[in-house]
Amino acid sequence: MKNQTNETHAFLTFSLGAEQFAISVDSVQEIVELEQVTKVPNAPQYMLGIINLRGKVLPLLDTRLKLGLSKAEITKRSRIMVIELETTDDKNLQVGALVDVAKEVIELSSADIQRSLDFENYETDAPITGIVNNHGNITMIMDVTKIFSTAEIVQLNHSLN
Amino acid sequence: MDSNQKRFVEDALDLLNELDEGLMQLESNPQATAPLEQVFRTMHTIKGGANMFGFENIGELAHQLETLYDMVRQGKMQITDGLISLTLHAFDKVRDLLKEKDVARINNAEVLKDHLTSAVNFLKVAESESSADISQTTNAKNKDELATFCLRISPTINITEDGNHPLVFIVQDISALGTSKVILIQKPSREVDHWEVFITTTAPQSELESYFIFVENECVVSYFKLTPCDLFEQPEFSEYLNSLDNLPADPTKIATFVALRLATYHQQKDEDEEIAEIGNTKKRSVSDSYIKVSKRKVDDLLNWISELIILQAQLATTASSIQSTALNDVAEQLEMITGRLRDTSLEIGLVPVETLVTKFKRLVRDLSKQLNKKVNFLSEGADTEMDKDVIEMMADPMVHIIRNSIDHGIEPAVERKAIGKSEHGTVKLKAFNSSSYVNIIISDDGKGISRENVLQKALEKKLISPNENPSNEDVFNLIFHPGLSTASQVSDVSGRGVGMDVVKQRIDELRGSVAVKSIAGKGTAIHIKLPLSRSIIEGLLVNVAETRYVVPLNVIERIDRIPYAEIHREDKVDKTVIVNEEPLPVLSLRQRFHNDVNPPKTADIISVLVNGIKKGIAVDRIEGKMQTVMKPLGDVYKQQDFISGSTILGNGTLALVLDPARLFLSTSHKEFSDKYEKSN
Repeated sequence: MKNQTNETHAFLTFSLGAEQFAISVDSVQEIVELEQVTKVPNAPQYMLGIINLRGKVLPLLDTRLKLGLSKAEITKRSRIMVIELETTDDKNLQVGALVDVAKEVIELSSADIQRSLDFENYETDAPITGIVNNHGNITMIMDVTKIFSTAEIVQLNHSLN
Repeated sequence: MDSNQKRFVEDALDLLNELDEGLMQLESNPQATAPLEQVFRTMHTIKGGANMFGFENIGELAHQLETLYDMVRQGKMQITDGLISLTLHAFDKVRDLLKEKDVARINNAEVLKDHLTSAVNFLKVAESESSADISQTTNAKNKDELATFCLRISPTINITEDGNHPLVFIVQDISALGTSKVILIQKPSREVDHWEVFITTTAPQSELESYFIFVENECVVSYFKLTPCDLFEQPEFSEYLNSLDNLPADPTKIATFVALRLATYHQQKDEDEEIAEIGNTKKRSVSDSYIKVSKRKVDDLLNWISELIILQAQLATTASSIQSTALNDVAEQLEMITGRLRDTSLEIGLVPVETLVTKFKRLVRDLSKQLNKKVNFLSEGADTEMDKDVIEMMADPMVHIIRNSIDHGIEPAVERKAIGKSEHGTVKLKAFNSSSYVNIIISDDGKGISRENVLQKALEKKLISPNENPSNEDVFNLIFHPGLSTASQVSDVSGRGVGMDVVKQRIDELRGSVAVKSIAGKGTAIHIKLPLSRSIIEGLLVNVAETRYVVPLNVIERIDRIPYAEIHREDKVDKTVIVNEEPLPVLSLRQRFHNDVNPPKTADIISVLVNGIKKGIAVDRIEGKMQTVMKPLGDVYKQQDFISGSTILGNGTLALVLDPARLFLSTSHKEFSDKYEKSN
């Protein structure tokens, strides 16, 4: 099912450990540095707490833990991707996603992206929709709504409690 | 749907509410011209708008109904229950339809056709009748005035009370016109000597007379207008009538009651007129200065003001840290101005409870018809203002309470009469402000909540144990328990037991409280207390293991400082601390959510009153009192509902606002589930 058009779409790449990922820039509002986090008690481990984003309260999630990877060390390069998602009931959900390094914006045409169904069985919970060779780096394209959708988070919360 | 059409829909929904209000007034007062003109005008506006913006079928319906009301205006037709019901139902459909987002769907809807046909039919009937009798409309200018009459009906023929003579039924019909008391005086032969009917009604004497047209030759009727008001409100009068036991009433006695009642009536009337006058002028001046602003703009404004308050707090912190007097002065000035700005801006978002009252009037009307009960709806303090969101959130719970009042509370007219209450039950909504709360009391004069029934149900559902003897208050609070419905028969209107717990839940969500008072035979009152604003909160800022929490001030009873060792209770059964010479169950936030590393030397115990039970929250240190803007944590933290939100402190860091009721709830759950897991 290859769609041969030359229309390109912008993706933001970031890394978790040694691996490279990309998400559509449409849902990324901005990238901010990690400042003081206020932890909310009794929440699952990947929910790091809340941060003050210029007067707005933003829930912060750890992308690595959310994907089932090990907890990352906080470094100077740690960044928060501020992501806005449309939820089913017309409301917008804003979350901050902590990543190891936020890299660059790349333009990809659908021809560049190989769809790989094998990733359904990937050992983590990562919803990978495609794979790209970005100048020699294998970059996995992730479906951002699937990682951070409230429905899933709420469901997860249920199973944890 | 384009923007003009959206505007029309929005306006039309407002207009429909006005229309409802007008129709309801018209129903209770069919001769009044002001509501008639208002109804006519409103329909005309709806018609115009609907036709202009392409909602032809709504325009058509409005046109037909408008024609009907035009005939009323010209005196060719009378306002009848049928007409009012027809109109209300037709516009209900319009209201439902307008909620559709698609114009084509609205225009193609079949549902309006039925209403259109019935309107057209009504018009045909009305037109054919209109030539008949126009004079009738002129005879009753004062129809809306309540008056108490005494009718003495003496048959000139020999009949018995259980006889089939029309006169017997006429007397019954008349007594149904309002609050009444019929005294039957019998001859020794058990035949009717005469009836004395005491009745308070809006019907004029001419209407009463008209009942006897066909029996003129069989009886003599004399009419006495006792008072131009409700004499039954004078309790001695009702008592006296009840004590008569089918003996003729003593006219001198009646005269004293009349005098008593008239004295209070005139006083009351003066006051009423005064109030009405004030109300009128107030309403006029207010309505002149209304502007319509989109909700989004108001929300934006409030958001920016919240930011300003936060910035102002930062400025104050900075000013005091660099110890500049000049800057401090500016900071203080700014604090005052932002405070006022905040108060004013919060008021913008407030709307009067009145918007709900119209809806409730309608509900009471429909329900009382459906259940065949006689119910008056009274409202007091309808100009009390509340947050628009809160009003919207409270609409359904309040509808539920009123439904309950009418369905379970108010007795059928016959039953009420039998126990000496006036036939018309009363449901009353009272709203008023007290400090930073809005109070809403919904009361009825029905049969009250039966303590025995609730207890029995609670026993059946094993909510209490048989040897418990809870206080009345506790028993009435059980009605908020999920799955408890006291109506022995589930009716169409209420009684599935899924309602009151939702009511309670919604009130809790709004950080409010609810209390029930009920006296058997006298009625029930439900008192709801809601915070004025959903976002401004007053509380104590506390520190626990370097995390800041805010405890809402409204639940705090007292504060005590104790050595930390006293609440360190690893391996201990006792979870209480002696405070003010009383043992207090204490929850330590540090031990519950954080760790015991580097504990402080002392702990501050905040005693809070949650659902009538005193409990303690232990924190490391109380930092001070603050008023602050609460921001929601977002859906992501839905599960952590013991935190109702967060707030940004002067230094830019965040503090978590605790919801004490949920905090204790979640801990008891936690303890339970811990035990459960361990036993597995």
